[in-house]
Amino acid sequence: MTFDFTRRSVLLGAGAALGTFVLGRSQALAQATVPLKIGFISPVSGPLAGFGETDGYILDRAREALAGGVTMNGTGYSVELLDRDTQSDPSRAGQLARELINSDGVDIMIAVSTPETINPVSDACEAAGVPCISTVMPWEAWYFGRGAKPGEPSPFTYGFHFGFGVDEFYRAYISQWDLIETNRKVGVMYPNDADGNAVRAVLAPRLVEAGYEVIDPGAYETGTQDYSQQIRIFREAGIEIFNTFPIPPDFAAFWRQAAQQGLHRQIKIVQTAKTGLFPGDIEALGTLGNNIASAAYWHRDFPYTSPVTGLNGVALCDGYEAATGRQWTQQLGASLSAIDVAMAALAAAADPKDKDGVAAAIAGLTADSIAGVVDFTTGPVPNVAHGPIIGTQWQPSEKGPHQFDYVVTENATDPNVPVVGTLVPYNA
Amino acid sequence: MISQLIGAVLLGGYYAVLATGLAFMFSVMNIINLAHGALIVLSAYGLYVLGGMMGLPIAIPIMIIVMFVVGLALHALILARASKGGELLPLLATFGLSIILDNLMFQVFGADSLSLAPLVGDLSWASFELPGFIFVGKLSVYTLIAAVAVIAGLEWLLRRTTLGHRIQATSQDRATARLLGIDTARTAAIATGLALATGVIAATALGLRTAWGPYAGSAQLLFAFEAVVIGGMGSLWRVLWGAMILALAQSLAAMIHPQGFLIGGHLAFLLAVFWRLRGGAFSLNRLLGREVRT
Repeated sequence: MTFDFTRRSVLLGAGAALGTFVLGRSQALAQATVPLKIGFISPVSGPLAGFGETDGYILDRAREALAGGVTMNGTGYSVELLDRDTQSDPSRAGQLARELINSDGVDIMIAVSTPETINPVSDACEAAGVPCISTVMPWEAWYFGRGAKPGEPSPFTYGFHFGFGVDEFYRAYISQWDLIETNRKVGVMYPNDADGNAVRAVLAPRLVEAGYEVIDPGAYETGTQDYSQQIRIFREAGIEIFNTFPIPPDFAAFWRQAAQQGLHRQIKIVQTAKTGLFPGDIEALGTLGNNIASAAYWHRDFPYTSPVTGLNGVALCDGYEAATGRQWTQQLGASLSAIDVAMAALAAAADPKDKDGVAAAIAGLTADSIAGVVDFTTGPVPNVAHGPIIGTQWQPSEKGPHQFDYVVTENATDPNVPVVGTLVPYNA
Repeated sequence: MISQLIGAVLLGGYYAVLATGLAFMFSVMNIINLAHGALIVLSAYGLYVLGGMMGLPIAIPIMIIVMFVVGLALHALILARASKGGELLPLLATFGLSIILDNLMFQVFGADSLSLAPLVGDLSWASFELPGFIFVGKLSVYTLIAAVAVIAGLEWLLRRTTLGHRIQATSQDRATARLLGIDTARTAAIATGLALATGVIAATALGLRTAWGPYAGSAQLLFAFEAVVIGGMGSLWRVLWGAMILALAQSLAAMIHPQGFLIGGHLAFLLAVFWRLRGGAFSLNRLLGREVRT
């Protein structure tokens, strides 16, 4: 750390010495700066576009906040965010990452949403020795899915992931399902894909341990058009809780067929993941969407503030709704939290341009973000930090302006999040 | 078991609705329209927008007219030119069109999953109760009826009307038809329009039974194509049988294991391919079992 007593460093040195970064907005500061480049890769178009839809707004807010440059350890930097769209294509994601590394020379990479985006980007960064921050996919699929072995040292030096895993889903579900009296019979529909197979292998056995009877008709292929077999099994078993991880069109087809068979009248909790992340998924179901329970990796009621933009959850979501006329989604906070963590990572290193130094600093990083504290020192495995999954419910809105309110119903994995709603039985 | 069989037959009705436009276009113009799925999704967006304003019963006939006109334009701008270049060029042209449409729809409508079901109240999940605790979805029954009606209508048109005879003549031998004074370009354009108009019925069924996004077209195309290949050409009724066989194969496989649903359909499709191509070289006509209509 350097201590040259210019007027600027006296003013800002205190903050920088603590390893945080200070937003320098003065014109003089912006002129004498070294450029810092941050790659931001997400699926903005293609079938996963629901995840990337809000990223343009987030990037605008971050660019606005960072326009004046930042000061880290007494040096002024200008910050450039280079965003790329994977078009939901994993091979394109890897290619974009390599381009950002080789042609643009990014100092740190951010990859957001789904294994199809994050895993190829993380692999490219690991190979090229560029620090990479990622969020929004189960960490197990990121860590073990890319070749790490349980009990062995982490094979990753540059890749760091934060966010939920199967354990958070388990704790949120147990906490959520205890809110309503049921016969504890859970029907599950997990597809034959990365998420579905992971929850079948890890989550289902833990639900059984917790005293739930799990009725699993077996994996189904995404794109299946007829579900009479599964519906019959659920109906005969008399399930009162239903849990599924489908894509929205599959869930719409399944749930309508289930309702044709009268299954919806016996079910007290419909707990969906993947479908139900975004309001459009639920609106497409019509009245059948009322009171579907969901789980959120971020929510506007999270009591945290983004260090980069200075926005809290409510301000961020209100701003988004005012600017676009669309309902806020949980992806807003998740994407912004990745930028928060990446900026904190750069600031934590002695020299943000030193990639090895940054990667080493992230391993010991505890960063504030709009999604809460991200702590890489207490993660379940090296290179991974925990993130919450909060139980929620889509309740028909009484006040408007949107068709549904997304209400927090439990907070087992982050007690700081206020529980404002009560879980309503689906068939009530 | 009985309820599964009923379900399979009704699902066959849905596939038949999807496949009819594709089969009609091939039988008339020798073009496999790879943009068929994307055009169905485009119709679904049209129904969503118009239906939200004036209700689905009014939106459907308007969209049928709109898509008929789109079909005329599609023929004039793309298909007429592409089909001069042989069998492969229309395939590539329509494939390109599907990619353009997918991304255009994404630009305009965004990534949301949409559905027509909220426009019709409870119809999408209402059901008839049969004796023996068997529930049959009303929507699937109406879809099957629509499939039969569309196919019957098109068959009647082809066999009983002057326009139909012109379409058949054009499809069998364009040069001779022209010699006999048939405006073959106009006839082919009308046939394209009709094919796209049936896509509106398919879009209604799609939008009511599930949800779709801008990239949903290719999945619909796959089911339609499989149904057409299994059924074969010659009469549009064979599309209905092909769709039924596809749905039955899927449902039977799903009874063995839920994961088998799609595989069962693909197996039936492959068997049909081997059956049609037995002992001969590959050609689209052989693949689709095309015969001269009698």
